Amino acid sequence: MDYAWDFSAILQYRALLWVGLVNTFKLAALCLVLGLAFGLPVGLMRYARARWLNWPATAFVEVFRNTPVLVQIMWFFFAFPIISPFDVNAFTAAALGLTLNTVAFSSEIYRAGIQSIAKGQWEAGKALGMTRRQQLIRVILPQALRRMIPAFMNRAIELVKMTSLASVIAYGELMHQAKTISTIAFNPIEMYTVVALIFFALIAPPALAVQRYEKSLGRRD
Amino acid sequence: MGYDWDFGVVLRDFDLLLLGLVNTLKVTGLALLFGVPLGLILALCRLYGNALIRWPVGLVIEFLRTTPPIAQLFWFFFALPILAGIEINPFEAAVLTFSLQSSAFFAEVFRGGIQSVERGQWEAAKAIGMTRNRALKRVILPQAVKRMIPAFLERAIELMKTTTLVGTISYADLLFRANQIAQSTYRALEVFTVAAAIYFIVIFACSFAVRLLESRLARSGESTAR
Repeated sequence: MDYAWDFSAILQYRALLWVGLVNTFKLAALCLVLGLAFGLPVGLMRYARARWLNWPATAFVEVFRNTPVLVQIMWFFFAFPIISPFDVNAFTAAALGLTLNTVAFSSEIYRAGIQSIAKGQWEAGKALGMTRRQQLIRVILPQALRRMIPAFMNRAIELVKMTSLASVIAYGELMHQAKTISTIAFNPIEMYTVVALIFFALIAPPALAVQRYEKSLGRRD
Repeated sequence: MGYDWDFGVVLRDFDLLLLGLVNTLKVTGLALLFGVPLGLILALCRLYGNALIRWPVGLVIEFLRTTPPIAQLFWFFFALPILAGIEINPFEAAVLTFSLQSSAFFAEVFRGGIQSVERGQWEAAKAIGMTRNRALKRVILPQAVKRMIPAFLERAIELMKTTTLVGTISYADLLFRANQIAQSTYRALEVFTVAAAIYFIVIFACSFAVRLLESRLARSGESTAR
């Protein structure tokens, strides 16, 4: 185990790592915003009584929750371009896969959050003469959203981890840049150690914060 | 959208896909076999160890939980062999990575389960003269494990999904085979769709079974709790 560690190459190529970090965030942020935005309507559709709303939403959610996310990304990169009306590059394919995956998972969070609100709240809204939509927007969602925050934050953390999968289809995020540097500089040990540490430094603080927040929520309720 | 679908090429190589699925299940099964006991050990260290054990173990668990699995896999496949001067093939690297990775998640499941058992159970065991080890083994764990079963199975399913990464280090799992067939037949659309369908069938069946079991456990829990 007398290996001579040498981190100089990583410093030399730090610009490449920086690009990777920026790309990781770009991909994660886009998928998070789109995923949460479309997750709500899908979650509400699953809540709907009408079958033509309920069934397609359920099928969509089950498919994306019950297949590996790497399969989804590879499908969008290798298979989808054949029938796609527009050009699909690595970024688009990764963004499509991760966004739809996030839509599916966040729709379940919305659904569970809404269901967790006591029925009486709906009835109280109704008693005040609110329509069902008003009850949802003004009474239910504001209460439900607060409970959903930890789950959404966990999803965001999971999403940042999942962006590393885009390296498989050669999108230049952090993991892919690390792979590139390790082949140029022949330093897999240092490079893969450092990239793991970078991810840990990025993800551990928010993960810890969520755990704390969850505990404080548990105490308040 | 005038695309002519042709699933014939997939059917011709279907046995290759199934061989891939067997490899997927093999890695998942072995990772479970090593990951669950290791998870229990880590959980006990984190719960009952002294500060010298508790802190490092906690750090390792958090590290394994918060770094992407692909980063871990690459580290064990590309970095560890040079560092330790050993040879590791893709299969061993995959089993090693996923055993350790899942052990961290299982540790948290064990910890949550053990902590969920009421204090009174410990006290009751103590009152009839049991040592802490014995109380853990005979009183606490049997109750905790029952509550943990759904979380365990969900983790196992999550693990199966994560093993799709092994293709990146050329271990021939289902996704790797699909990619190979797609490249040799130029029928990526059909091949990847079929591969996704196989994953869906296996994983959906498992999660459906978990949901059934969960509702059943919830019901039996209610009837015995009161």
